[in-house]
Amino acid sequence: MTQGTMALSDEGSRGAAADATGLIDRLGFSSGKVTMSTNVKLEAVEPAVTGEGEKPLIELRNVSKTFGAVKALSDLEVSIRPGELVTVVGPSGCGKSTLFNILAGLEEPDPGNVLRLKGVSSTASDLLGKVSFMPQRDLLLPWRNVIDNAILALEIEGMPRSEARRQAMEMLPEFGLAGFEAQYPNQLSGGMRQRVALMRTFLFKRDLMLLDEPFGALDALTRTMMQRWLLDVWQKHKRTVLFITHDVDEAIFLGDRVLVMTARPGRIKLEQVVDLPRPRKADIVTSPEFIALKKTLLEAIEEESMKSFQVSGH
Amino acid sequence: MSAYMQSDSARQIGRGLAGALLVAAIWELSARGLNLPAYVLPSVTSILGGLVNDAASLAKAARYTAAESFAGYVIGCLVGMAAAVLVTMIPAARSVVLPLATAINSVPVVAYSPLVLLWFGMGMASKIVMVAVAVSFTIFLSTIAGLDRVDRKSVDLIRSFGAGRLAVLWRLRLPTALPLIIAGMRVSTVRSVIVAIVTEMLGAYDGLGWIIYQAVLQIDFVKVWAAIIVASSISLTFFGAISFIERRYVFWR
Ligand SMILES: Nc1ncnc2c1ncn2[C@@H]1O[C@H](COP(=O)(O)OP(=O)(O)O)[C@@H](O)[C@H]1O
Ligand SMILES: [Mg+2]
Repeated sequence: MTQGTMALSDEGSRGAAADATGLIDRLGFSSGKVTMSTNVKLEAVEPAVTGEGEKPLIELRNVSKTFGAVKALSDLEVSIRPGELVTVVGPSGCGKSTLFNILAGLEEPDPGNVLRLKGVSSTASDLLGKVSFMPQRDLLLPWRNVIDNAILALEIEGMPRSEARRQAMEMLPEFGLAGFEAQYPNQLSGGMRQRVALMRTFLFKRDLMLLDEPFGALDALTRTMMQRWLLDVWQKHKRTVLFITHDVDEAIFLGDRVLVMTARPGRIKLEQVVDLPRPRKADIVTSPEFIALKKTLLEAIEEESMKSFQVSGH
Repeated sequence: MSAYMQSDSARQIGRGLAGALLVAAIWELSARGLNLPAYVLPSVTSILGGLVNDAASLAKAARYTAAESFAGYVIGCLVGMAAAVLVTMIPAARSVVLPLATAINSVPVVAYSPLVLLWFGMGMASKIVMVAVAVSFTIFLSTIAGLDRVDRKSVDLIRSFGAGRLAVLWRLRLPTALPLIIAGMRVSTVRSVIVAIVTEMLGAYDGLGWIIYQAVLQIDFVKVWAAIIVASSISLTFFGAISFIERRYVFWR
């Protein structure tokens, strides 16, 4: 019943604090695993640092997208190597979500683009069902409980419900949701809802994972805990992740690379390799290397935000 | 939690009963006190007496009317939902069908009763058809409204999981529409009983509407009221059953 009360208090300070403490426990518990997986992880990061080493998992060139009179993306070039965690920052309205919609197969870019998945030329709609996508809002279905929301993608793939539920039950503790499987979304705090949505994305096992501001709506404390937790889970599951955020600290803390987008129409303004060792501790944000990266990135973002501010001011 | 809800709904029922008793008492007193003639308002006790006296024929008529209403209701719900799903799946059909349905629905269905009696005869079939038509339009419009309520972003999400149109319909659109569909079904319960009775008044071999019509001709107003009370109980029971299902299966908002 104490657990129930915690779940019912929505995003209030008490709910958030309870979320955070729960996560600290889990992080402490699994820290041994993190150190063990360090070697594995370094191999995956290496090509990202030296470049050219490995064939890209996904490659975009000349990707533009026009909505009526609005040009959202203009000649975008992005290339993601397998196992990378690439973060994307940029002023709001610069086309970040549009980029994700294209990669998820939901929007077709303007003609003349090049889009390659594992070296194979594709149209965007070929990517439907091949990329695991987490949109900006959690979009949990209110009539499904935690476990059934988590298995939505598996069910659509045609996996029998019992098998899908079994897989999801195994993952619950890792996502801090053990014991909450029968709760409905309206009974969960914002942080927990977000973790259910993340779990749904993780269970849909695809090479590329797109996360659109997954922690954007969370308070600072919960957000920090979720970032550390995400790195932990990512290193264990070894997925390729493209992660949108509007928080520079988050972008550096998580990313192997940070892509800064220009104001609309969006292009890549700056591609910054993050050369910080992994696993990253929370206090890395105060290291001189981190601060230097942050300075470079903030300058680039500032410049673009000013532009988009002026554009929208007219 | 559920015990609390149970005692809450028990209290509601209790209050409803108390209210009904109060109305009955006032009714009884004014009918007797003012010495009202039966064609204005017979007393409650005489109506109760009528219920007992005509119990057999009223029960038979009630079964008849309930069967017509229920059959028409089920057919109407199925047809309305199926048509709504078809129309949303074929966007071209929508612009033709929707204005037509709204226009037809804006004329009270009972206006079509004489025609339907001509086409389907005086038996049960004509009442079932009338009820089905009345219910299907309501359900059709509420299902369309419900299916339209779906969030585009949610559709995008499950399409990104590889869902086709059928999967989107089954896993997203229909559940999203369910609260509005059931609300339409709840409203339709009362409507289906009314339409059955009104159609019976225009021509039938049995049923509460037929009894009411005959009783008026025989100037037996106690019987009229007895039949009205039976009809109301059928409506209320039907309404209550669907409300129960609604509360139970539409637990989210
Ligand atoms: N479906 C759409 N129709 C019309 N305009 C759109 C659509 N989607 C996005 N846009 C426009 O494209 C621009 C980029 O939007 P978006 O990709 O959501 O930005 P971001 O996620 O970076 O904040 C915005 O100006 C937005 O209004
Ligand atoms: Mg966005």
